Amino acid sequence: MSYKLPIPAKGTHTQPFWDGTKAGQLMLPRCTDCNRVHWYPRFICPFCHSSDLEWIQASGEGTIHTYAVQHMAFGAWAKEAPYVTAYIDLKEGDRMLTVLRGVDPLRPQDIKIGAAVTVEFEPADDDTHIPFWRLVGE
Amino acid sequence: MPGKLSRAAAIVGAAEANEIGFLKQPVTSLQLHIEAIKNLSEQTGVPIAKIEGVFSTGWSSELCEHLGIRPKYIDTTAVGGCSFEMHVHHAMAAIHAGIIDIAVVSHGENGHSAQKIGGRGIANYGLGGGATSPGFEMTAAYGIGGASSNYAHAMVRHMHRYGTTTEDFAHIAKVTRDWATLNPRAAMYSKEKHPFGGPITVEQVESSRMITWPMTILHCCMVADHGGAVMLTSPKIAAGLNTAPVWVAGAGESMGHSNMLEMPDFTATSACHSADAAYTMAGMGPSEMELALIYDSFTITAAITAEMLGLAPRGQGHLLWKEGHAAPGGRLPINTNGGGLSFNHSGMYGMPLLIEAYRQLSGTAEDGVHGDKGKQTNARTCVVNGTGGALSTTGTLVLVSDE
Ligand SMILES: [Zn+2]
Repeated sequence: MSYKLPIPAKGTHTQPFWDGTKAGQLMLPRCTDCNRVHWYPRFICPFCHSSDLEWIQASGEGTIHTYAVQHMAFGAWAKEAPYVTAYIDLKEGDRMLTVLRGVDPLRPQDIKIGAAVTVEFEPADDDTHIPFWRLVGE
Repeated sequence: MPGKLSRAAAIVGAAEANEIGFLKQPVTSLQLHIEAIKNLSEQTGVPIAKIEGVFSTGWSSELCEHLGIRPKYIDTTAVGGCSFEMHVHHAMAAIHAGIIDIAVVSHGENGHSAQKIGGRGIANYGLGGGATSPGFEMTAAYGIGGASSNYAHAMVRHMHRYGTTTEDFAHIAKVTRDWATLNPRAAMYSKEKHPFGGPITVEQVESSRMITWPMTILHCCMVADHGGAVMLTSPKIAAGLNTAPVWVAGAGESMGHSNMLEMPDFTATSACHSADAAYTMAGMGPSEMELALIYDSFTITAAITAEMLGLAPRGQGHLLWKEGHAAPGGRLPINTNGGGLSFNHSGMYGMPLLIEAYRQLSGTAEDGVHGDKGKQTNARTCVVNGTGGALSTTGTLVLVSDE
C-alpha cells in the first residue's frame, strides 16, 4: 500500500476498533452499566468506573466541534500542509480527532462549526484502516 | 519528639492488578495501573471519584484522564524505585496540610510485556502515555505536532462561542511586547537585541507568518534558553534574611485532561479550579489582585486563563489587553516581564512567572540578574498561573508582599 503518513501502534485492548475499520465500521466502546459511549477506548468507564465495557457499531455520523488549519507540520505530515484538523462530536457521544476532508484549508472561514460530517476509512497497512471524517456532500 | 508530620496520615488499603507475573497476554503499564486502582477502590469502598491526590512516577496526568477524575494534588516524582516511598511522604504532607483527604499512590510497569509490546517507561506528559496510551493511539494518525497545532482549536472554538476575532487576541501580543520593550532582559526588548524585537502593532501581529490558522507566529511564544530558581524558607528563617519575603498566601492545582482529545470545553481550563483553591486558601479574590502573571504560550492561553482566574468575565479576557488595563500604566498589569510571547519561553515557562512575581512584589523588578530596581508596578498582590500540556494542567498561586 502507498500510505505514507504515520500509522498508530496498537494497544492491547483496541483490536475490535481496528477490526471494525477494515470492515468499514466505526466501533465505539460503551459502558454496559451507565450506557455511555466514551472515546478513546479505556480499561474502565470514565463516567461510572464500571469495568463492564462493550463495543458497539456506531453510525459514523458527527458534527464539527472545532478545527484549525495546520500550516506548519512535522514529519510525513509536513508536505501535506496546509491541512485542516478537527475535533468531531460523535452522534453517539464523546469526541474524535481527525484530519478533515472535503474542505478548503485556504478558506478556513468557510468551514462551519456544527457542520455534519461522516466517517470514511483509508487503508494504511494490512492491519490498519485509518478513519477520516469528511464534510457531508463534499 | 515526633515531627509535625508524624501520624498525619495512614495507609488504608493496598491492592494489585488482576494478574501479575509473566503474563502470556501482554499488558500495558496503563492497564496495570488502572486495574490496581479499581481493585483498591473495591477493597476500601472508597469510590474512584473520591480520589483527590494521585502520586506516580510520571503517570498521574494520564491516570486521572483515563479515570475521568479531576485531582487537587498531582505528584509525578520519578527518581527510581524509592519514588513510591517518597510519594507516601508527599501524600502525608498534602493530607496534613489539608489540601486533600484521599491520596492514591499508583504503580504499573509491564517489565515483561514491554519486551513484546514496549511501553515500560514513563508516560509522555502532555501527549498521553506514548505509543501504548489509547489516547495517543487514537490521535497519532492526524498530523498534530507542535503545541500551536492543538491550541489553535481552542481559539477557533472561543471565536465561535463568543464572537471574538484574531484581532482581539492580537492586542495581547502587542501589549505584552510593550512590556518587553521596558525590560532589557527580554529577548524581544529592542531591534538591536533581536531583529524582530522592539514594539509591534496589531496589524503586524495579524499579517505575520501563519503557523496554525488562526494563529500567526506573533500569537505564539518563542522557544529560547532560560534558567531560573527560587528559594522558599520558613517564616523564621525569612525574618533573618536581607531579602524581602514574598508570601505564598494561596496555592492550588488541577487538571482537565492530558490529551486535548479529552478537553471537555475548549474555552475553559482547570485554572478555574486551581484558582478557586488558591483564592480560598489565601482568603482573597480576583478583585484584590494588583498584578497577574499568566503563562502566555499563545495569546489564546492568556485570554482564557484571565477568564478562568476571574480577572474578566467568560469570553472577555482579551478586553483586559485590548482596553489597556493589562498594559504599562493600566489598572491590572499582566505579564510585566514581557511574557512567554516576548520575554523568554524555553518550553516550560512556570519558572519565569515565579521570578517576575518575586521581583515585582519585592520591589526589585526588573532589570538584571541581581534584581536591581527598575520598572516597578508597586503591586502588593499577584496571581500566578502556569498551564501545562495542551491546556491540560494548571497551578495557581496567590503571592503577597509584606505590608
Ligand atoms: Zn459507565
